[in-house]
Amino acid sequence: MADASDAGRGVPAASVRVVIVDDHSIFRSGLKADLDASIEVVGEAHDVESAVAAVTDAAPDVVLLDVHLPGVGVPSGASGGAEVIRRVGSSMPGTRFLALSVSDKAEDVVGVIRAGARGYITKGSSGADVSRAVQAVAGGDAVFSPKLAGFVLDAFGAAVGETAAASDELDRLSAREQEVMRLIARGYAYKEVAAELFISTKTVETHVSAVLRKLQLSSRYELTAWANARRLL
Amino acid sequence: MIRPRACVATGVAAGMAEHLGWPVTVVRLAFAATSLAAGAGLLLYVWLWALTPWAPGDERPTRRAPVAWLLVVASTLSLLGAWVVSAWVLDGDEGGLRWWFGAVLAGVGLAVASGAWAGFVDRPDPERGPRHELAIRLSATALLAITAVALVFGDVAHEYPVPTFAAALAAVLGIGLVYAPTLVTAWRDLADERTKRIREEQRSEIAAHLHDSVLQTLALIQNRAGASSEVARIARAQERELRDWLFDGDTPADSDLGTDLRDFAAALEIDYPVTIDVVVVGESRERASGEVAAAAREAMLNAARHAGGEVSVYVESSPETVEVFVRDRGEGFELGDVPGDRLGVRQSIIGRMRRAGGSGEVRRGAGGIGTEVRLRFPAERLGAEAGRG
Repeated sequence: MADASDAGRGVPAASVRVVIVDDHSIFRSGLKADLDASIEVVGEAHDVESAVAAVTDAAPDVVLLDVHLPGVGVPSGASGGAEVIRRVGSSMPGTRFLALSVSDKAEDVVGVIRAGARGYITKGSSGADVSRAVQAVAGGDAVFSPKLAGFVLDAFGAAVGETAAASDELDRLSAREQEVMRLIARGYAYKEVAAELFISTKTVETHVSAVLRKLQLSSRYELTAWANARRLL
Repeated sequence: MIRPRACVATGVAAGMAEHLGWPVTVVRLAFAATSLAAGAGLLLYVWLWALTPWAPGDERPTRRAPVAWLLVVASTLSLLGAWVVSAWVLDGDEGGLRWWFGAVLAGVGLAVASGAWAGFVDRPDPERGPRHELAIRLSATALLAITAVALVFGDVAHEYPVPTFAAALAAVLGIGLVYAPTLVTAWRDLADERTKRIREEQRSEIAAHLHDSVLQTLALIQNRAGASSEVARIARAQERELRDWLFDGDTPADSDLGTDLRDFAAALEIDYPVTIDVVVVGESRERASGEVAAAAREAMLNAARHAGGEVSVYVESSPETVEVFVRDRGEGFELGDVPGDRLGVRQSIIGRMRRAGGSGEVRRGAGGIGTEVRLRFPAERLGAEAGRG
């Protein structure tokens, strides 16, 4: 999913410190070997408790977080990944979370996004894609895949013509945000979205971040219902 | 021999008359006459009832005769008869006792039979339904309760306590049996429910297990092998199949536009070095067999064949329009450069959309990379198309 992650602005900043959280050691080592040189893996964890410990210890820039993580005391209906963010997110303001999911069903990821992750990427993505997404998240951007953009359009009723009247409305998207989401859903990278809409890449990123914020804060029925109904994955 | 679905009581006589070519009345009289010969006709009737299939068809069998009510009436008559006979029994007619006992038992049996008929046979009949069932039950219950009370406090009980007690017991048990069909049905439902739940639990257990093992491995394979390599494509197809099987369950996929294009994308991914992302937004009312779907499939095939790599398909259904975007990152082409004898794009995409009343457009992708095909179809045309096809 290069489209998901072309958000990286191509400036490899000073190396990004990353903690990888996944319950499969094969996957962790595979991913570790595949990441760019600009990314330094400073910790690994395999369940909720060890993840909390590792993140608190290492204080990384980005946590690559498996959505489906085993752990003690994870409330039913919540995923382990979301639980990790809930436990450490508020005490580590400098750390950003990028969700990793084996599934590209956006519904599965909504829970972890709503808990505070800055985006998600599927586990099938190549090391380069993951690296770009990590850089983007480290730079403060949100990472949206076409699937997630489609889900957002659906959940916010964009297809049936619901448009936010005021810019601070949480339960609907503004016309511009819808345009941006549509283009991302059509497979456009951020800079292509920018060219298409005659705006700057920075503005695209602002819109995407605004959508992410709405996704996290909105109490729209569809969002909570979807997240609850898809308990299994 | 078959029984007609619209019948009087069971359809046996009508079916037999049809089979033999006799008038129905003759068949009925023959059954009645042979029943007098030690019940032979009745046995044959019941045997035929149990073994003869319904006439082929979809509608539920309907019965003109109110059989359950007739059974209630017969039961009442039988019990009244017993009451009459009881006067002779009290006069000292010892032989009358057997008749009396037989009549009481027959009355109880007929009341139970009316309940069973209402509960098992009449229940699926749309003409009768639960209200009818309840009325029959209440009548049979009242009849049996009155009988039991009359027996216990009647005069026969003083003279012959043991047979009277047995008959009263039969009446009380009969009340229970009147409600048996409900219990049987409820128990059957419960058993079905339990089986279903166990299957569901088993499935989600298997799903959780496979999710933690096989799906992770398939993801890792895709990750290591590079997105458009053969191995990754096979792993992706495998993952999709497994996921569909695990999480969609037995429900057949409905053939709307989104589902159809997803399936088509999966098939293309196996044949061509391409990964296709299909994103669907909105409720799709467009059918998979429609012109939009055909044009979209053509566009996807073009993208897979000529561009490869990553292809994005986006379907949005709003109340006014259905839009499909197919975007690839291949070398791209100018429509004007395509020789006139190449019909693919002109005919099967743009021409097809125009003929169906929509519009199609092929242009360079954003930033001059690849090609984007855009199909648009007004929603009000969908109804017309569905009506035609």
